[in-house]
Amino acid sequence: MGLSRIRQAGGERQYEPELPAAAAGDLKPYEVFVQLERGKPHVHAGSVDAADDEMALLFAREHYGRDQSCVQVWVVPRAAIVRTDYDKDLVFRLSDQSYRFAKGYNVGEKWRKFMSDREYTEYRRGDIKEHF
Amino acid sequence: MTELPAELRPPLVELLLSAADDKFILGHRNADWTGLAPILEEDIAFSSLAQDDLAHAAALYDFICGLTGDNANRLAYGRRPAEYRCAALVELADEFDWAVAIARQFLCDHFEMLRLGRLARSAYPPLAELARRMLAEERLSLGHADQWVIRLGRAADDAPARMQAALDRLAPLAVELFEPTAGMDALESAGVYPHDAPSMYDLWEASVRNIVQEAGLRIDLRPPPPDFRGGRSGKRSPLFADLLAELTEVYRVEPEAAW
Repeated sequence: MGLSRIRQAGGERQYEPELPAAAAGDLKPYEVFVQLERGKPHVHAGSVDAADDEMALLFAREHYGRDQSCVQVWVVPRAAIVRTDYDKDLVFRLSDQSYRFAKGYNVGEKWRKFMSDREYTEYRRGDIKEHF
Repeated sequence: MTELPAELRPPLVELLLSAADDKFILGHRNADWTGLAPILEEDIAFSSLAQDDLAHAAALYDFICGLTGDNANRLAYGRRPAEYRCAALVELADEFDWAVAIARQFLCDHFEMLRLGRLARSAYPPLAELARRMLAEERLSLGHADQWVIRLGRAADDAPARMQAALDRLAPLAVELFEPTAGMDALESAGVYPHDAPSMYDLWEASVRNIVQEAGLRIDLRPPPPDFRGGRSGKRSPLFADLLAELTEVYRVEPEAAW
Protein backbone atom coordinates (compact mmCIF):
# COMPACT_ATOMS: atom_id res chain seq x y z
CA MET A 1 0.00 0.00 0.00
CA GLY A 2 1.89 3.01 -1.22
CA LEU A 3 -0.33 6.02 -1.45
CA SER A 4 -3.17 6.21 1.01
CA ARG A 5 -6.22 4.29 -0.09
CA ILE A 6 -8.30 7.39 0.00
CA ARG A 7 -5.94 9.03 -2.40
CA GLN A 8 -5.93 6.03 -4.67
CA ALA A 9 -9.70 6.14 -4.77
CA GLY A 10 -9.52 9.88 -5.36
CA GLY A 11 -7.29 9.28 -8.39
CA GLU A 12 -10.11 7.49 -10.12
CA ARG A 13 -12.37 10.49 -9.88
CA GLN A 14 -13.09 12.51 -12.94
CA TYR A 15 -11.67 15.98 -12.71
CA GLU A 16 -12.37 18.98 -14.86
CA PRO A 17 -9.65 19.26 -17.50
CA GLU A 18 -8.75 22.74 -16.27
CA LEU A 19 -8.56 24.07 -12.73
CA PRO A 20 -11.45 26.46 -12.18
CA ALA A 21 -10.31 30.06 -11.94
CA ALA A 22 -11.03 31.74 -8.62
CA ALA A 23 -14.23 33.75 -8.74
CA ALA A 24 -13.59 37.39 -9.46
CA GLY A 25 -12.99 39.29 -6.23
CA ASP A 26 -12.80 36.05 -4.27
CA LEU A 27 -9.22 36.29 -3.10
CA LYS A 28 -7.02 39.36 -2.81
CA PRO A 29 -3.23 39.52 -2.65
CA TYR A 30 -1.58 40.56 0.61
CA GLU A 31 2.07 41.34 1.26
CA VAL A 32 3.57 39.71 4.33
CA PHE A 33 6.20 41.15 6.65
CA VAL A 34 7.81 39.33 9.56
CA GLN A 35 9.76 40.64 12.53
CA LEU A 36 12.40 38.29 13.92
CA GLU A 37 13.02 40.19 17.16
CA ARG A 38 11.20 42.93 18.99
CA GLY A 39 12.58 46.30 18.01
CA LYS A 40 14.06 44.97 14.76
CA PRO A 41 12.56 45.99 11.40
CA HIS A 42 9.73 44.06 9.78
CA VAL A 43 11.13 42.40 6.69
CA HIS A 44 9.17 41.57 3.57
CA ALA A 45 8.72 37.79 3.50
CA GLY A 46 6.42 37.21 0.55
CA SER A 47 2.74 37.33 -0.25
CA VAL A 48 -0.46 35.32 0.25
CA ASP A 49 -3.88 35.36 -1.39
CA ALA A 50 -6.81 35.48 1.00
CA ALA A 51 -10.48 36.42 1.17
CA ASP A 52 -10.05 39.01 3.90
CA ASP A 53 -7.67 40.43 6.50
CA GLU A 54 -8.34 37.78 9.12
CA MET A 55 -7.71 34.92 6.73
CA ALA A 56 -4.63 36.66 5.33
CA LEU A 57 -3.15 36.91 8.80
CA LEU A 58 -3.88 33.25 9.47
CA PHE A 59 -2.24 32.18 6.21
CA ALA A 60 0.73 34.49 6.73
CA ARG A 61 1.30 33.11 10.20
CA GLU A 62 1.27 29.54 8.93
CA HIS A 63 3.39 30.23 5.83
CA TYR A 64 5.99 32.69 6.95
CA GLY A 65 5.78 32.66 10.72
CA ARG A 66 6.78 29.07 11.36
CA ASP A 67 9.94 28.24 9.43
CA GLN A 68 11.89 30.76 11.52
CA SER A 69 11.32 32.02 15.01
CA CYS A 70 9.63 35.38 14.78
CA VAL A 71 7.72 37.65 17.11
CA GLN A 72 5.24 39.41 14.82
CA VAL A 73 3.65 39.09 11.40
CA TRP A 74 2.13 41.94 9.38
CA VAL A 75 -0.15 41.61 6.38
CA VAL A 76 -0.92 44.52 4.11
CA PRO A 77 -3.46 44.40 1.28
CA ARG A 78 -1.38 44.91 -1.85
CA ALA A 79 -3.96 47.43 -3.03
CA ALA A 80 -3.16 49.57 0.03
CA ILE A 81 0.44 50.04 -1.07
CA VAL A 82 1.08 53.31 -2.89
CA ARG A 83 4.04 52.88 -5.17
CA THR A 84 6.09 54.56 -7.86
CA ASP A 85 5.94 53.42 -11.45
CA TYR A 86 9.07 51.76 -12.85
CA ASP A 87 8.79 53.54 -16.19
CA LYS A 88 7.12 56.82 -15.43
CA ASP A 89 8.41 57.88 -12.06
CA LEU A 90 11.85 59.17 -11.29
CA VAL A 91 13.06 57.85 -7.96
CA PHE A 92 16.78 58.36 -8.28
CA ARG A 93 18.18 61.65 -9.57
CA LEU A 94 19.84 61.58 -12.97
CA SER A 95 22.32 64.36 -12.35
CA ASP A 96 25.55 63.45 -10.62
CA GLN A 97 24.90 63.63 -6.92
CA SER A 98 27.28 60.88 -5.93
CA TYR A 99 28.32 63.00 -2.96
CA ARG A 100 25.01 61.97 -1.45
CA PHE A 101 25.87 58.27 -1.43
CA ALA A 102 26.45 57.08 2.06
CA LYS A 103 29.85 55.64 1.24
CA GLY A 104 33.43 56.78 1.12
CA TYR A 105 33.80 57.18 4.84
CA ASN A 106 36.71 54.77 5.04
CA VAL A 107 37.55 55.16 8.66
CA GLY A 108 37.99 51.45 9.38
CA GLU A 109 41.69 51.45 8.63
CA LYS A 110 42.32 54.63 10.63
CA TRP A 111 40.29 53.30 13.51
CA ARG A 112 42.19 50.01 13.63
CA LYS A 113 45.49 51.88 13.53
CA PHE A 114 44.30 54.19 16.25
CA MET A 115 43.15 51.35 18.47
CA SER A 116 46.32 49.35 18.04
CA ASP A 117 48.55 52.31 18.74
CA ARG A 118 50.80 51.45 21.65
CA GLU A 119 50.91 54.96 22.90
CA TYR A 120 47.18 55.11 23.08
CA THR A 121 47.01 51.82 24.95
CA GLU A 122 49.51 53.06 27.46
CA TYR A 123 47.79 56.39 27.74
CA ARG A 124 44.51 54.65 28.45
CA ARG A 125 46.10 52.43 31.05
CA GLY A 126 47.47 55.50 32.77
CA ASP A 127 44.15 57.25 32.40
CA ILE A 128 42.31 54.43 34.09
CA LYS A 129 44.83 54.35 36.93
CA GLU A 130 44.48 58.04 37.44
CA HIS A 131 40.73 58.17 37.52
CA PHE A 132 39.76 54.97 39.27
CA MET B 1 0.58 17.78 44.69
CA THR B 2 4.25 17.31 43.84
CA GLU B 3 4.09 13.55 43.35
CA LEU B 4 1.26 11.80 41.57
CA PRO B 5 -0.30 9.20 43.92
CA ALA B 6 0.39 5.72 42.52
CA GLU B 7 -3.30 4.81 42.32
CA LEU B 8 -3.94 7.79 40.02
CA ARG B 9 -1.30 6.79 37.54
CA PRO B 10 -3.33 4.22 35.53
CA PRO B 11 -6.39 6.53 35.19
CA LEU B 12 -4.16 9.44 34.19
CA VAL B 13 -2.48 7.29 31.55
CA GLU B 14 -5.93 6.38 30.20
CA LEU B 15 -7.02 10.02 30.07
CA LEU B 16 -3.81 11.23 28.42
CA LEU B 17 -3.87 8.37 25.92
CA SER B 18 -7.37 9.45 24.88
CA ALA B 19 -6.12 13.02 24.35
CA ALA B 20 -2.96 11.90 22.54
CA ASP B 21 -4.80 9.40 20.33
CA ASP B 22 -7.45 11.97 19.38
CA LYS B 23 -4.69 14.33 18.28
CA PHE B 24 -2.63 11.64 16.59
CA ILE B 25 -5.44 10.20 14.49
CA LEU B 26 -6.93 13.61 13.68
CA GLY B 27 -3.51 14.92 12.65
CA HIS B 28 -3.08 11.89 10.41
CA ARG B 29 -6.50 12.37 8.84
CA ASN B 30 -5.84 16.06 8.21
CA ALA B 31 -2.37 15.41 6.80
CA ASP B 32 -4.14 13.45 4.04
CA TRP B 33 -5.17 16.86 2.67
CA THR B 34 -1.59 17.92 1.93
CA GLY B 35 -1.56 18.85 -1.73
CA LEU B 36 -5.34 18.66 -2.01
CA ALA B 37 -6.85 21.47 0.08
CA PRO B 38 -9.13 23.89 -1.78
CA ILE B 39 -6.58 26.68 -2.23
CA LEU B 40 -2.79 26.68 -2.04
CA GLU B 41 -2.61 28.95 1.01
CA GLU B 42 -5.04 26.76 2.91
CA ASP B 43 -3.17 23.64 1.84
CA ILE B 44 -0.07 24.88 3.63
CA ALA B 45 -2.01 26.20 6.62
CA PHE B 46 -4.00 22.99 7.09
CA SER B 47 -0.90 20.81 6.77
CA SER B 48 0.92 23.02 9.20
CA LEU B 49 -1.93 22.78 11.72
CA ALA B 50 -1.97 19.00 11.25
CA GLN B 51 1.66 19.04 12.33
CA ASP B 52 0.61 20.86 15.50
CA ASP B 53 -1.79 18.02 16.25
CA LEU B 54 0.98 15.47 15.74
CA ALA B 55 3.38 17.55 17.86
CA HIS B 56 0.79 17.66 20.65
CA ALA B 57 0.29 13.91 20.38
CA ALA B 58 4.06 13.39 20.59
CA ALA B 59 4.29 15.63 23.67
CA LEU B 60 1.50 13.68 25.36
CA TYR B 61 3.01 10.29 24.45
CA ASP B 62 6.30 11.51 25.94
CA PHE B 63 4.52 12.61 29.09
CA ILE B 64 2.81 9.22 29.39
CA CYS B 65 6.17 7.49 28.94
CA GLY B 66 7.47 9.56 31.84
CA LEU B 67 4.76 7.93 33.97
CA THR B 68 5.06 4.40 32.65
CA GLY B 69 8.59 4.03 31.30
CA ASP B 70 7.16 3.09 27.91
CA ASN B 71 8.51 4.27 24.56
CA ALA B 72 6.68 7.02 22.65
CA ASN B 73 7.18 5.43 19.23
CA ARG B 74 5.78 2.15 20.46
CA LEU B 75 2.81 3.96 21.97
CA ALA B 76 2.12 5.80 18.75
CA TYR B 77 2.69 2.96 16.30
CA GLY B 78 3.02 -0.29 18.18
CA ARG B 79 -0.37 -0.86 19.78
CA ARG B 80 -3.22 -3.10 18.70
CA PRO B 81 -6.41 -1.33 17.57
CA ALA B 82 -8.19 -2.13 20.85
CA GLU B 83 -5.45 -0.35 22.78
CA TYR B 84 -6.16 3.03 21.18
CA ARG B 85 -8.41 5.41 23.13
CA CYS B 86 -9.50 7.94 20.50
CA ALA B 87 -13.13 8.95 19.91
CA ALA B 88 -15.05 7.72 16.87
CA LEU B 89 -15.16 11.26 15.44
CA VAL B 90 -11.44 11.42 14.65
CA GLU B 91 -11.51 8.05 12.92
CA LEU B 92 -14.11 9.29 10.48
CA ALA B 93 -12.85 9.38 6.89
CA ASP B 94 -13.78 12.68 5.25
CA GLU B 95 -13.54 11.25 1.73
CA PHE B 96 -12.06 14.58 0.67
CA ASP B 97 -15.17 16.50 1.47
CA TRP B 98 -13.75 19.78 2.73
CA ALA B 99 -16.89 20.59 4.74
CA VAL B 100 -16.57 17.27 6.61
CA ALA B 101 -12.88 17.88 7.31
CA ILE B 102 -13.64 21.36 8.64
CA ALA B 103 -16.63 20.21 10.71
CA ARG B 104 -14.56 17.39 12.24
CA GLN B 105 -11.75 19.79 13.10
CA PHE B 106 -14.20 22.38 14.43
CA LEU B 107 -16.04 20.00 16.78
CA CYS B 108 -12.77 18.47 18.01
CA ASP B 109 -11.04 21.81 18.58
CA HIS B 110 -13.87 23.16 20.72
CA PHE B 111 -13.67 19.99 22.80
CA GLU B 112 -9.87 20.13 22.95
CA MET B 113 -9.86 23.70 24.25
CA LEU B 114 -11.97 22.58 27.21
CA ARG B 115 -10.04 19.39 27.85
CA LEU B 116 -6.72 21.25 27.78
CA GLY B 117 -8.27 24.00 29.90
CA ARG B 118 -9.12 21.46 32.57
CA LEU B 119 -5.67 19.87 32.36
CA ALA B 120 -4.08 23.32 32.60
CA ARG B 121 -5.76 23.72 36.01
CA SER B 122 -4.54 20.31 37.15
CA ALA B 123 -3.28 19.87 40.70
CA TYR B 124 -0.37 17.93 39.20
CA PRO B 125 2.00 20.76 38.16
CA PRO B 126 4.00 19.09 35.33
CA LEU B 127 0.73 18.20 33.61
CA ALA B 128 -0.69 21.70 34.08
CA GLU B 129 2.44 23.21 32.58
CA LEU B 130 2.34 20.99 29.48
CA ALA B 131 -1.37 21.68 28.98
CA ARG B 132 -0.89 25.45 29.20
CA ARG B 133 1.70 25.36 26.41
CA MET B 134 -0.57 23.23 24.23
CA LEU B 135 -3.54 25.44 24.96
CA ALA B 136 -1.78 28.47 23.49
CA GLU B 137 -1.30 26.62 20.19
CA GLU B 138 -4.76 25.08 20.29
CA ARG B 139 -6.27 28.57 20.11
CA LEU B 140 -4.74 29.02 16.65
CA SER B 141 -6.28 25.79 15.46
CA LEU B 142 -9.66 26.73 16.92
CA GLY B 143 -9.55 30.17 15.29
CA HIS B 144 -8.80 28.53 11.96
CA ALA B 145 -11.72 26.09 12.24
CA ASP B 146 -14.15 28.79 13.40
CA GLN B 147 -13.17 31.04 10.51
CA TRP B 148 -13.83 28.31 7.99
CA VAL B 149 -17.19 27.31 9.44
CA ILE B 150 -18.34 30.94 9.38
CA ARG B 151 -16.97 31.53 5.89
CA LEU B 152 -18.52 28.43 4.37
CA GLY B 153 -21.79 29.02 6.19
CA ARG B 154 -22.08 32.53 4.82
CA ALA B 155 -20.70 31.80 1.37
CA ALA B 156 -22.63 31.84 -1.88
CA ASP B 157 -23.47 28.77 -3.98
CA ASP B 158 -23.57 25.32 -2.42
CA ALA B 159 -21.08 25.88 0.44
CA PRO B 160 -23.67 26.50 3.21
CA ALA B 161 -25.67 23.40 2.23
CA ARG B 162 -22.52 21.26 2.23
CA MET B 163 -21.38 22.67 5.56
CA GLN B 164 -24.84 22.02 7.00
CA ALA B 165 -24.80 18.45 5.73
CA ALA B 166 -21.42 17.89 7.36
CA LEU B 167 -22.62 19.26 10.70
CA ASP B 168 -25.77 17.12 10.53
CA ARG B 169 -23.69 14.03 9.84
CA LEU B 170 -21.05 14.67 12.51
CA ALA B 171 -23.19 16.03 15.37
CA PRO B 172 -24.26 12.57 16.67
CA LEU B 173 -20.65 11.33 16.53
CA ALA B 174 -19.25 14.43 18.22
CA VAL B 175 -20.81 13.71 21.60
CA GLU B 176 -18.74 10.52 21.68
CA LEU B 177 -15.80 12.80 22.53
CA PHE B 178 -17.33 13.02 26.02
CA GLU B 179 -17.10 9.33 26.82
CA PRO B 180 -15.19 9.16 30.12
CA THR B 181 -11.97 7.19 30.25
CA ALA B 182 -11.51 4.48 32.88
CA GLY B 183 -11.03 5.90 36.36
CA MET B 184 -11.83 9.50 35.41
CA ASP B 185 -13.87 10.04 38.59
CA ALA B 186 -10.78 9.53 40.74
CA LEU B 187 -8.82 12.07 38.67
CA GLU B 188 -11.65 14.57 38.94
CA SER B 189 -12.07 14.31 42.69
CA ALA B 190 -8.30 14.51 43.25
CA GLY B 191 -8.16 17.70 41.15
CA VAL B 192 -5.80 16.13 38.60
CA TYR B 193 -8.53 16.67 36.01
CA PRO B 194 -10.68 19.34 37.68
CA HIS B 195 -14.33 19.74 36.76
CA ASP B 196 -15.67 22.53 34.61
CA ALA B 197 -18.57 24.58 35.90
CA PRO B 198 -21.03 24.51 34.23
CA SER B 199 -20.32 21.08 32.84
CA MET B 200 -17.80 20.57 30.07
CA TYR B 201 -20.60 19.43 27.78
CA ASP B 202 -22.64 22.60 28.41
CA LEU B 203 -19.63 24.80 27.73
CA TRP B 204 -18.82 22.89 24.55
CA GLU B 205 -22.38 22.96 23.34
CA ALA B 206 -22.60 26.73 23.90
CA SER B 207 -19.31 27.55 22.17
CA VAL B 208 -20.08 25.28 19.20
CA ARG B 209 -23.59 26.68 18.85
CA ASN B 210 -22.30 30.23 19.08
CA ILE B 211 -20.10 29.82 16.00
CA VAL B 212 -22.63 27.72 14.10
CA GLN B 213 -25.23 30.46 14.58
CA GLU B 214 -22.76 33.11 13.50
CA ALA B 215 -22.29 31.04 10.36
CA GLY B 216 -26.06 31.07 9.79
CA LEU B 217 -26.21 27.26 10.20
CA ARG B 218 -27.87 24.85 12.62
CA ILE B 219 -26.60 22.01 14.75
CA ASP B 220 -28.65 19.45 16.60
CA LEU B 221 -26.64 18.45 19.66
CA ARG B 222 -28.02 16.06 22.24
CA PRO B 223 -26.34 15.48 25.62
CA PRO B 224 -24.10 12.41 25.58
CA PRO B 225 -26.03 9.15 25.87
CA PRO B 226 -25.36 6.90 28.87
CA ASP B 227 -24.17 4.17 26.52
CA PHE B 228 -21.27 5.36 24.41
CA ARG B 229 -19.87 3.48 21.46
CA GLY B 230 -16.79 2.72 23.51
CA GLY B 231 -14.03 4.47 21.56
CA ARG B 232 -12.39 5.43 24.85
CA SER B 233 -12.29 1.81 25.95
CA GLY B 234 -10.94 0.41 22.70
CA LYS B 235 -14.02 -0.37 20.61
CA ARG B 236 -12.93 0.70 17.17
CA SER B 237 -14.95 1.47 14.08
CA PRO B 238 -14.45 -0.80 11.05
CA LEU B 239 -12.45 2.02 9.41
CA PHE B 240 -9.78 1.91 12.06
CA ALA B 241 -7.90 -1.21 10.99
CA ASP B 242 -7.21 0.26 7.54
CA LEU B 243 -6.28 3.59 9.01
CA LEU B 244 -3.85 2.02 11.44
CA ALA B 245 -2.33 -0.22 8.76
CA GLU B 246 -1.56 2.84 6.68
CA LEU B 247 -0.33 4.88 9.61
CA THR B 248 2.06 2.21 10.86
CA GLU B 249 3.26 1.02 7.46
CA VAL B 250 6.78 2.41 7.86
CA TYR B 251 7.07 1.60 11.56
CA ARG B 252 6.23 -2.05 10.96
CA VAL B 253 9.10 -2.45 8.48
CA GLU B 254 11.59 -2.18 11.33
CA PRO B 255 9.98 -1.45 14.71
CA GLU B 256 13.29 -1.13 16.53
CA ALA B 257 14.84 1.27 14.04
CA ALA B 258 16.16 4.56 15.40
CA TRP B 259 15.05 7.60 13.39
